[in-house]
Amino acid sequence: MNQSWVARRVRRSFPLSAAVLALGAQLSAASAEDVIRFGAPLPITGALAPEAVKQQQGYDLWAEQANKAGGVSVGGKKYKVQIVYTDYQSNTPRAVQATEQMISQDNVNFMFGAFGSGAAKAASTVSEKYKVPTLAATASSSQVYDQGYKYLFGTFTPNDTLTTPLTKIIKTKVPDVKKVAILARNDLFPLAIAQEMEKSAKAEGYEVVYSEKYSIGTLDHSAALSQIKSLAPQWIFVTGYTNDLLLVRKQMVDQQMKAPVVTMIAGPAYQEFIDALGPAAENVSSAAWWHPAEQYDGKDIFGTTANFVKLFKAKYNSEPDYGQASAALCGALFQIAIEKAGSLDRDKVRDELAKLDVVTFFGPVKFGANGQINSLDPPVFQIQGGKPVVLFPQAIKQGDLKIGVN
Amino acid sequence: MQAAQILINALVLGCLYACIAIGFSLVWGVLNVINLIHGSFIVLGAYLAFGLYNALHIPPWYAVIVAAPLFFVLGYLLQRLVLNRVITAPVLVTLTLTFGLDLILNNAMIYFFKADYRKLTLTPSLGSVSIFDVVVPVDRLIATAAALALTGLLYLLLRRSRIGRAIVAVRLDRDAAVLMGVNVPSIYAIAFGLGAALAGCAGVLMALIFPISPLTSSAYLGKAFVVCVLGGLGSVSGALAGGLLLALVEGVGSTFLGPSHATTLSFVLLIIFLVLRPQGLVGRKGFE
Repeated sequence: MNQSWVARRVRRSFPLSAAVLALGAQLSAASAEDVIRFGAPLPITGALAPEAVKQQQGYDLWAEQANKAGGVSVGGKKYKVQIVYTDYQSNTPRAVQATEQMISQDNVNFMFGAFGSGAAKAASTVSEKYKVPTLAATASSSQVYDQGYKYLFGTFTPNDTLTTPLTKIIKTKVPDVKKVAILARNDLFPLAIAQEMEKSAKAEGYEVVYSEKYSIGTLDHSAALSQIKSLAPQWIFVTGYTNDLLLVRKQMVDQQMKAPVVTMIAGPAYQEFIDALGPAAENVSSAAWWHPAEQYDGKDIFGTTANFVKLFKAKYNSEPDYGQASAALCGALFQIAIEKAGSLDRDKVRDELAKLDVVTFFGPVKFGANGQINSLDPPVFQIQGGKPVVLFPQAIKQGDLKIGVN
Repeated sequence: MQAAQILINALVLGCLYACIAIGFSLVWGVLNVINLIHGSFIVLGAYLAFGLYNALHIPPWYAVIVAAPLFFVLGYLLQRLVLNRVITAPVLVTLTLTFGLDLILNNAMIYFFKADYRKLTLTPSLGSVSIFDVVVPVDRLIATAAALALTGLLYLLLRRSRIGRAIVAVRLDRDAAVLMGVNVPSIYAIAFGLGAALAGCAGVLMALIFPISPLTSSAYLGKAFVVCVLGGLGSVSGALAGGLLLALVEGVGSTFLGPSHATTLSFVLLIIFLVLRPQGLVGRKGFE
């Protein structure tokens, strides 16, 4: 009885539901034609969640701007932009799966790389297999680009481009510096930067009196800092993420440690670092791939650096950092390459990306033969008066290095 | 002189670890619940201190007075309304339940406070005191004193008050306590409330020292766990002994083997204790 009632209902409603389904299919077919889909695997949950949020902000800002301008024009026709996000839960093997799924099932046209060097490298094997052009926004290690891949491009220069200019500035401005102490978080990127720093320091003839790493999740640095203090280095160089560097800096103040030069990577590039430390952030130097104080007049959708910063502030009510800017840049670069190619053909877009030579709000963009950007001079900066001041490159310099961190 | 500095650092850090662990130890010892929400309670306490200082200029040592009753009520209600339903189930059930509650609280904090790291910076800052060449930061000294005071208060409460004796009675033998007329669900709720209050107070004090973010909760929880295993359950002094031992091992290990091995060393110690002395340094047999 019950069953026949159900059967009747189904029979009666069948033509209607069939019509709805058909209409839906038609609609989605129509929208699929006018939309370019970009896949973005991100660690939206888990330990790297805050970084994912930042990258997402960059992509979303670009998509919003591109769509506001009517979309990306491909051979005279405007296409809307859609970004497909997948959460890989801060788990690299899942990033690989997510990339595979986006390409083979979600039918994305192009890919953004996973977060950081490790996951971006792992996921790039999949996009290379399917020949999908991929722009990695936050992969700096040269090991990501030495695989001979043709479809992978990245917007961060190698790690040594951060430490070399910094060392040169210190060498000329602070001749008293003889001894360097390096404390690094035992994690892919912070460790790589510390290793580059050690090389740069030795190349300049400095004595590296302390070079140690601390493990992820360390709650106390007092033992390491006491040891560094007893060695009396003139330059203290610490790598890690915001939480580590806040704690290290606080404990340095606690232990009354003073040095002519204190450098921290990557915390000072973030506004939250300056806000949280207050006066203790003063004169801490750093380097990053991009800084909102830069002044480029770009040919991309954002135009000038100032315009990008303004749009970002209007949308998110905070100052953009290099991660957010790089993500937005990746979108803008895809737009340029697609419009130049005049087609959504993956190989044509790939060739346009490889040929790019354009000034953007992020700086000049040109990819090397391995796919990694080689046209940027990452800025060196220092916190002065609660604000980051660019010391290098010369073209966008805002001030001189101040000596002494108390 | 460096040795003296490292020793002082370890003593102070040990008291902070004890402060982090003591509520966790109480709940584990009395209720046999491995309370995974403990770390998030500490972070919530830190946010409370941060908010009170920035909005009303109430320094953390007064914020403790606000945090303790607030967190007691929160813990009491959580135990009464939620945990009591599964308290007699195997330990894995309560573990899973507190894990789920922790996910909810932690993600709620990420949603409302964002994952950005914040820092409670006192103006003027408290600075440090130096005796000869040994430097001790004043905020850590305050937290140390508070940790010792909280430990002492808990000890007195468990030893001298009727409620405290009832808590100890339930811990020693639940069935006998029931026969003696102890209202066990109520004692459980009070013990869990006390654990939450201690976590909240610890959070308020930690706000002076560590950066504040929901993401730090697992670090606190991890330390609490290690401290409890090292120190032993079933006695208040266990948390203190465990905290001091852990901090000493970390400090000495960091100096001689490098900071990256400090954590390795502390976990090697944990395994040694689990195998050779599961009741911990001062724990009594039967509570491991």
